[in-house]
Amino acid sequence: MIKLKLKTLAPLALLLAAVPAAALQPLPLLDDEATESEEEDEHWVLLKGGDVYTGTGALLRKADVLCRDGKIAEIGYDLYAPEEAEVMEISGYRVYPGLVALESRGLFGGSGSLKDSVDPFNESMTYAVASGITTAVNGSEIGKLNRGRLEDVLVKRGTFVGLSYSISNPSGRGSLREKLEAAAAYLRTYREWQVQVRSNKDLKEPKKSGVDSNVLAVLEGKARALFSSDEQQDLVGIARLAQEYGFRPVIKGCREGWIVADELGRAGAFAIIEARDRRSKNEALVRPGGSSIENAAILHQHGVQVAVLPSSTGISLGGIVGRDIMHMPTEAAFAVRGGLPEDAAIASMTTIPARLLGLGHRLGTIEEGKDADLIVTDGDLLHYRTFVQWALVGGRVVYDKEAELYFAHIRPRPDGELAPESPVDPGEDDIVEPPAEEPEEEPAEEPSEGSGDAPTEDSTEPPPAEGGSGEGAEEGPAEDTAD
Amino acid sequence: MKKTALLSLLALGLGASSATAGDFGGRPRGGDSVRASLAIASQGEVHPGAVGGRGLAIYSKKVAVCEWNGQDVINNGVVLVKDGKIEAVGKRGEVLPPPDYAQMDVGDQWIVPGLVEMHNHVAGRFGLNDTVYLANPGLRASSDVFAGNAQLDLGLAGGVTTVLYIPGSGSNVGGQGVLLRTGFNTYEECLIKDPGSMKLAQAGNPERWLTRPNRSFMNWNTRTTFQRGIAYAQEWEAYERDGGVMPRKDPQWEIFRHLRKRDVHISTHTQIYQVVLKTITMVHDQLGLPFFIDHGTFDSWRVAKEAEKRGIFACLGPRNIDVPARGFIQWSGSNPERVQGVAAGYQSEGFTRIGFNTDSPVIPQEELQLQASMAVRYGFDESKMATLRGLTIVPAMAGGIGDKVGSIEVGKEADLLITTGDITDPRHSVELVLQLGKVVYDPAQTGRRW
Repeated sequence: MIKLKLKTLAPLALLLAAVPAAALQPLPLLDDEATESEEEDEHWVLLKGGDVYTGTGALLRKADVLCRDGKIAEIGYDLYAPEEAEVMEISGYRVYPGLVALESRGLFGGSGSLKDSVDPFNESMTYAVASGITTAVNGSEIGKLNRGRLEDVLVKRGTFVGLSYSISNPSGRGSLREKLEAAAAYLRTYREWQVQVRSNKDLKEPKKSGVDSNVLAVLEGKARALFSSDEQQDLVGIARLAQEYGFRPVIKGCREGWIVADELGRAGAFAIIEARDRRSKNEALVRPGGSSIENAAILHQHGVQVAVLPSSTGISLGGIVGRDIMHMPTEAAFAVRGGLPEDAAIASMTTIPARLLGLGHRLGTIEEGKDADLIVTDGDLLHYRTFVQWALVGGRVVYDKEAELYFAHIRPRPDGELAPESPVDPGEDDIVEPPAEEPEEEPAEEPSEGSGDAPTEDSTEPPPAEGGSGEGAEEGPAEDTAD
Repeated sequence: MKKTALLSLLALGLGASSATAGDFGGRPRGGDSVRASLAIASQGEVHPGAVGGRGLAIYSKKVAVCEWNGQDVINNGVVLVKDGKIEAVGKRGEVLPPPDYAQMDVGDQWIVPGLVEMHNHVAGRFGLNDTVYLANPGLRASSDVFAGNAQLDLGLAGGVTTVLYIPGSGSNVGGQGVLLRTGFNTYEECLIKDPGSMKLAQAGNPERWLTRPNRSFMNWNTRTTFQRGIAYAQEWEAYERDGGVMPRKDPQWEIFRHLRKRDVHISTHTQIYQVVLKTITMVHDQLGLPFFIDHGTFDSWRVAKEAEKRGIFACLGPRNIDVPARGFIQWSGSNPERVQGVAAGYQSEGFTRIGFNTDSPVIPQEELQLQASMAVRYGFDESKMATLRGLTIVPAMAGGIGDKVGSIEVGKEADLLITTGDITDPRHSVELVLQLGKVVYDPAQTGRRW
């Protein structure tokens, strides 16, 4: 019993240590009472034989990931797991850290605070985990997409302090500088007092009156300053302000960041960008301006921490696809088009957003001790054909593609229940074809990997890509029906 | 996958100075030396390959020729371009350029036909969407063209070299579309064909749900309009055949003479399977006019077998999927039990003529390729290069210009893309665009636009 208590308290304590009390009020559990009754045995999951894209630079082929009670316990080869462990044989598949959405609408089912509105059974959450998202910012809260469960949803509150700094608003700039100055002055006197109070116990703590608590939290490193800025003058101003007062700004938009990337890099900025942002330059200016498909790449080159976000942060079911939160990897793929390295593109949806949210110690990479929020895909995450086959949140399978009605029929797993009865032999396939198709030419169906130097190109292309070349499960090969 | 390919520049026809292509300034991208070569060649002389210039031979490890009923790719191929046309294409070593031809080798970058868009609303000022009269076959989109505008420019950077600029779907017959090149700045240079199409819109937008002409009235109206047009054309046909009194020329109905000759096709805003069925039975079966399915979304794939039987083309988009509808209002009447890929649905019915569209600006013009990749994501089988074909030769044939553009075949216009790979994948980029053999987009000169 005591052991159990310790276990449930441990993450809480960890959070309390990592996150300041005042502005943030960590509340790791949605409902404190609910966990009281949570007296379960240890929960083990072993993901066996997948290619593990850890996000730390290491790619472990055909490795095991062992999860225990929601955390990654061990990563390695031929791992021992207790008998009760749930074993997932996933050789041929890839394991990535779950994606972190820095903004979202409706993924948790309702609007408003998570405590009041979480609906873990709604379709949006299913679509979200099916898209690989395991953690999402919802208003001012960060939550886990713990689909089907009411527990362990809320991760953290109040991460950001929204600030504005614009060339078109001189008085606003002035007042922000005043607030920063006041907060900095307060911190100096406070530190002085901290030293002096040791020898003089009667010294009174300096008063906080007139000090903006939000701005103070930014300078203390307890919250992140979030700017929504696109224009280069504003970006430079923010970068210089950040360096002057010693904080790392988060800049959403950052359209013209590519022009002033060196300034932003020096300021240690985070940028939340839309890779496909498009806006012409201001033609009245001689210098370069406007959006650039190379924005992500150039920012990354200059040391800016780049996270991507599609133009729509909700689930779009109108039929137009590729631009909502379900298609984060598509957005990242466009950043790659502009020159962003592929590992940075993966990081832009995992490691960077986790770090940006102050949750780098728990999320964003596959490392021992981190949360077991993992996705298992049937291929390169950045490839348009790739689907999430399983998603795990807190070491629990919250999504299995074959078990949900939405995508199960699309290229079903060859070993799954929905696989075609007699998988088409790819060789035979070509012989049946009409002679016009010139069988000696490569069909060139592998569109990526122009040159062989990229780490993502490998021989372990997952089975689904080969097997069901046709449509849904109920159809035979498309070629047969074509005649 | 990124672009560390070493290019060997064969400077035979270009003068020795162009061979030093080592320093690109920024990060190395494969196309730089290629572009440098063309830039040098263009100083003071006509671009090799363009009209009036020397010939141009382009070598590549992969030439995606995209023939409709032929080969997909030529590995280790060469394309010869002369006077704006493709002069020859074949295996390296088998097709030999004359000695005076400029030569470039793009290494393992691909040569791809320029992409073809049959549903574009951004080549003009969007001034043509009449919603007063329900049938305006005489209106011409060509009167509204804004050649070389920013949106077309971006589309060009995304590899789109040919567009059909069409009126909106505010009325049943919106007017005539115009087929344009995107690479030039004047209407005259851009013009491929005017009229390039006639726009028909069924169900959906022209319904104007509150003040509605309903669907049966619209069908009556469309049929009657078309019958009048056909009667007009028949009068002219009789005159041309038998002589007699020359009929009065009426610009409102002239387009039907083209339709009857089948040198112009009807692009039909049609979607939802009952509506598509109506298009098939009325326009094709009853009236005998050439049309292609434009949009074709929601559950239209259910009638794909009927369309296939008749050899009809479809350009699908901008919607790519049909989802289980849980909403209160269910407009389309389609409610699949799963996320149904539209193109995948057509394919599952044995339909072969599948192209893609953006309905730009609904999807930005430069993201035409994304329409194909998203089709694959949602179940479309891309083997046999069905995606690249759906972006090139299929829409070209749908629009009736399959003999001019859409594939790399002898005699066609030299609209060629040099890309870092299969352009279906958003990660790949366009490194050079030639139109009529002329360099019309070169990131090294103008900066990368997409």
